[in-house]
Amino acid sequence: MKNKLSVMMLTWEFPPRVIGGISPHVFFLSKSLAKNGVKVYVVTCDFPGAQAREVIDGVEVYRVDSYKNPAPDFATWVYLMNLNMQREAAAIVNKLGNKIDIFHAHDWLVATAGIGLKHVFRKPLFVTMHSTEIGRRDGLHTDTEKMIHETEAWLTYEAWKVICCSDYMVSHVKWAFGLPADKLVMIRNGVNIKVYDEIEKNLESFRAKFALPEEKIVLYVGRIVYEKGIHVLINAVPKVLEKVNAKFIIVGSGYMKEQLLNIVRSMGLEHKVLFMGFVEDETLLRLQKCTDISIVPSLFEPFGIVALEAMAAKSPVVVSDTGGLSEIVDHNATGFKAYPNNPDSLAWGITKILLDENYKKYIRENAYRKVQEKYGWEKIAQQTKQIYKAVLGEYSKSFWA
Amino acid sequence: MRVIIFSWEYPPRVVGQLADYINALSTQLVKNKVKTYIVTYHESLTGTVEEESGVKVVRVANPVRIHIGVLTWDLTLNQEVERAAANIYYQADRQIDLINVHDWHFIPAAVTLKNALNIPFVYSVESLEDHRSPNSNTPYNMSIKSIEWLGFHEAKKVSVKSEWMRDEIIRIHNVPEEKVKVVSPSTDSWIKEVLGLYKTVAGGVNSK
Repeated sequence: MKNKLSVMMLTWEFPPRVIGGISPHVFFLSKSLAKNGVKVYVVTCDFPGAQAREVIDGVEVYRVDSYKNPAPDFATWVYLMNLNMQREAAAIVNKLGNKIDIFHAHDWLVATAGIGLKHVFRKPLFVTMHSTEIGRRDGLHTDTEKMIHETEAWLTYEAWKVICCSDYMVSHVKWAFGLPADKLVMIRNGVNIKVYDEIEKNLESFRAKFALPEEKIVLYVGRIVYEKGIHVLINAVPKVLEKVNAKFIIVGSGYMKEQLLNIVRSMGLEHKVLFMGFVEDETLLRLQKCTDISIVPSLFEPFGIVALEAMAAKSPVVVSDTGGLSEIVDHNATGFKAYPNNPDSLAWGITKILLDENYKKYIRENAYRKVQEKYGWEKIAQQTKQIYKAVLGEYSKSFWA
Repeated sequence: MRVIIFSWEYPPRVVGQLADYINALSTQLVKNKVKTYIVTYHESLTGTVEEESGVKVVRVANPVRIHIGVLTWDLTLNQEVERAAANIYYQADRQIDLINVHDWHFIPAAVTLKNALNIPFVYSVESLEDHRSPNSNTPYNMSIKSIEWLGFHEAKKVSVKSEWMRDEIIRIHNVPEEKVKVVSPSTDSWIKEVLGLYKTVAGGVNSK
């Protein structure tokens, strides 16, 4: 190849716009690819206060009009946003003299833009499937869910390779869309350990804002939606409090928040369960660093980045034994695996870690070591670049080349 | 000259009067030595066929079968229209002079093709959402109006069938008057005027 390999990432979220795990994933993947000699362009939705165009560590970021007229519903908005994204991305590629080798889409939220750009420029399309509709909803119940599922199927059909972040997701995506095995690639999601190592050691006054000195902090981080299983954690709260004095901190927002708040009120435990909503990055990192334990009670979890973040922050983790979490955590070695959807099992794990200092120390040290060895962005970027190159080799022999 | 026509109806799929109009237009274009392609929609008759007249017709279907509204159906179908048109473009050695898109349905595909491949387009207006759903400003109506607006904004020329419609799109969408041409199908000079309009558009997005 005479020129540098160049890739255009399509994502509906990129910092400072953060909705879920795709935003940090694309951020670190793009930066690490750039460090490994790949020219990376990111096309994403605009965000108040963020620049329409900027260069971050060699990554060229374009924030496009995300369609701000009223849309009938979320799914229709997604397709309307894709119309704008596709139009602006097409103009960018055109202006660059078509010097894009690969389009890389992240989830169905940018499906139609990715598919369109593939065909007008005749370049290979990659997709990373971070999640699936059939997994999020535990089945397909409404027309919206079926429509999204078929859009996902179409996207994986159009993609040259489908990347998943865990062995669990590879088999799930293969099943969900009936894909041939050789179309799927497993490349782990990564975590940035450095940001946790750089946080100041003395967090006592910060901690005091959230909990009394005698209270242990139990932290949940994530969207407050059904598949994350926060209701299981809420049901475990009284069981934990029988044994340990603790404060439960819930970070994130979502459609189940009001419902869960009402349950907490009816239990009379408002003083023990704190709903923080969405918090600034700095607050989040410190909470992850000073918490006594982190809980990931998901019912469906394609990967489970928050568990990895907790491990990088040297916080012991209790996770439900499902999806990607099963691969990240080794039971009694790098964390505690609870039975999914089982408050008793969850409470058992939390209590065990909070009451047994030696056990706690043992698993958090193991966990930190595992994160360092297996989930660094450098390695992930190298694997991604390798698969880009392999596909471009195949592409060069096709009639599109 | 090589032209691709986008229309969501074409025989045997007849919804309103547009299908017959596209049939007459494409037949006349071929008679006037314009290489003419039609990209249209049909759920069961898909693929490429050549009419006796010499018009090449590509019918596409929607890869997503279940929808929650006309908009999601339309926006996904547009990707197939776009794919079919891109295939025509590459098979024709990248020599497509213009796209003529009829009504709002396939404006998204025309817009991407213009921005990606510098193919200019003519937006031929049959009707407007403001007239189809008068005094209705639900998010659904607004979304369709915004697609119409995008079409007016990105088109190199707009053709209408009456002076009344010309005045309406200037009034409603602030389209500059010089962008709009009235081409009435009921006059004898109709196809000559269409060809004249095409000639002013052919030659790339950036030409005058």
